[in-house]
Amino acid sequence: MIEVKHLTKRYGNHTAVDDISFTVEDGCIYGLLGPNGAGKSTTMNILTGYLSATDGTVTIDGHDIAEEPAEAKACIGYLPEQPPLYQDMTVTEYLLFVAELKGVRKKAARRAAVEEVCGRAGLQGMEARLIRNLSKGYRQRVGIAAALLGTPKVIILDEPTVGLDPAQMIEIRSLIHDLGKTHTVILSSHILSEVQTVCDRVLIIAAGKLIAQGTPEELAGRLAAKGTISATAQGNREAVLQAASAVPGLTDLRVTAEKGGEVSFTAVSESGADLRGALSLALAKAGCPVLTLSAESMSLEDVFLQLTEKPEEKGDA
Amino acid sequence: MAAIFKREVKAYYTGMIGYVTAAVSLFFLGLYFANRNLMYASSDFASVLYTTTMILLFLLPAISMRSFAEERRNKTDQLLLTSPVSIPAIVRGKFLAEVVVFAAPLVVAVVMPLILLAFGTVSLVSAYSALFAYILLGAACLSVGTWISALTENQILAYLATFGALLVAYLMNGIQTMFTSGSVLALIVFLVVLLIAAVLVGVACKSLTTGCAVFCVGGILLAVLFVARPTWLLSAFDSVLAAMALFEPFNGVVGGMFSISAIVYYLSVMALFLFLTGQALERRRWH
Repeated sequence: MIEVKHLTKRYGNHTAVDDISFTVEDGCIYGLLGPNGAGKSTTMNILTGYLSATDGTVTIDGHDIAEEPAEAKACIGYLPEQPPLYQDMTVTEYLLFVAELKGVRKKAARRAAVEEVCGRAGLQGMEARLIRNLSKGYRQRVGIAAALLGTPKVIILDEPTVGLDPAQMIEIRSLIHDLGKTHTVILSSHILSEVQTVCDRVLIIAAGKLIAQGTPEELAGRLAAKGTISATAQGNREAVLQAASAVPGLTDLRVTAEKGGEVSFTAVSESGADLRGALSLALAKAGCPVLTLSAESMSLEDVFLQLTEKPEEKGDA
Repeated sequence: MAAIFKREVKAYYTGMIGYVTAAVSLFFLGLYFANRNLMYASSDFASVLYTTTMILLFLLPAISMRSFAEERRNKTDQLLLTSPVSIPAIVRGKFLAEVVVFAAPLVVAVVMPLILLAFGTVSLVSAYSALFAYILLGAACLSVGTWISALTENQILAYLATFGALLVAYLMNGIQTMFTSGSVLALIVFLVVLLIAAVLVGVACKSLTTGCAVFCVGGILLAVLFVARPTWLLSAFDSVLAAMALFEPFNGVVGGMFSISAIVYYLSVMALFLFLTGQALERRRWH
């Protein structure tokens, strides 16, 4: 179990991670979701003891990462954003080195451990290859294999599928899914569909703050009560917006596109009631023919966009 | 630590550096051995080592430059620093590997005095004590280079900075004699050193007032010393400079003065710079 309390990391005046607290339960796959530069990598680097926190504590399986670093680090297998591979070693040499680094003392035990993780990470047949000659997908696998060595309880993967082709992405995702059966996994990503399919729980981070957490369904359900309507109408922008905003219960009007006398916009029905009829009537009355009109239930993507946009808006105000 | 040590030694000999440094060091050792001992029939092996100390200035930075700079550039330091190995153990493993790469070709130097035995009487004690001091000297220089390598991620910069630092240490004897002219010069140099220290403290504490306070307090102390006890300042300055002359204790051993103080000096230099290396790595986690 990992407990993170009031974690803060400041670089000079810039706050990369701002007072984040969460708990990671055993046996689940956690997804750390956020746009680029949100503080995901910094958070992971602190969890693994690579960086130290400005404030707050991280406890891994009862060991404080600052007080008992060796014990805490022994519980974690980490794959950083760029796999820390030595280019001039072969896969086996590298994994044997990592195994020894992680305190696997006996030579035979190291050999067995390396063989096992090679099997799990799908590296069969690649053992004798130089790491510099491997493709990006296989390097990622070597990194994951290295993270598995030393039988850690928790595997932390920082953007494990970035830069891979779609086939490799699917392979790595299914590998992560398998890992979830035996380990607690924390992965970071800015790809929603990935988190939605792989993770049991999602933590959404934006601008260094933890803004939402829960299962993917919970998060989607949280805002799904509000119905979003997207529509396109003919007419000028002012007339269309005026007519739409006059509909009772319809809020959060946003123009998404505007060209050739057609205005596309989205709006949210606060109560969740279907306001398509009322909107269509209101637009017709204002002399703006409705071209398209559809109700959308929110996907995690929308939740994500809404949540991650809000802090910026507050910042502007 | 053992894992890091083994990997490092292997990495030196997977790349070129291990072989190139061995070749260069053996070439010059052989050249001076043939010239001094064999052709001029001298039995003084220590003087051969003495003449090759200049080569160390070029050779040792090449060994130490990659140690931490390369790890940082390739981000492999993330593996080391997130594995259950302490920072002092990482530093020790890397440093020992450097010393081994430097000392390995010197196995040949162990044989050289024995060859001379065939031709006459040779003081093996003086030859081997000089060799021992030579290795200590090299290790001390490597510790300086390791520290500099931990400060940057650019290997060329690490090489040049280490070369510069070692060159200053090498020439320190000459530099020292330039500074005997008066205590005013000593005061100025101490003030410059103080200014640098104050700037470093100020940057470290991120506070201008702390930096200024350090400089003011130190400056007043120096001024008081300068007025009251000018000779103290001069002798303190002299001993600081003497402490920076890394090659001097070795030269003493070559001259026949094998002393415990030389060994203690080199061991303390190593301890100091390895400690500083650990601090540099630790600091990076906080920046």
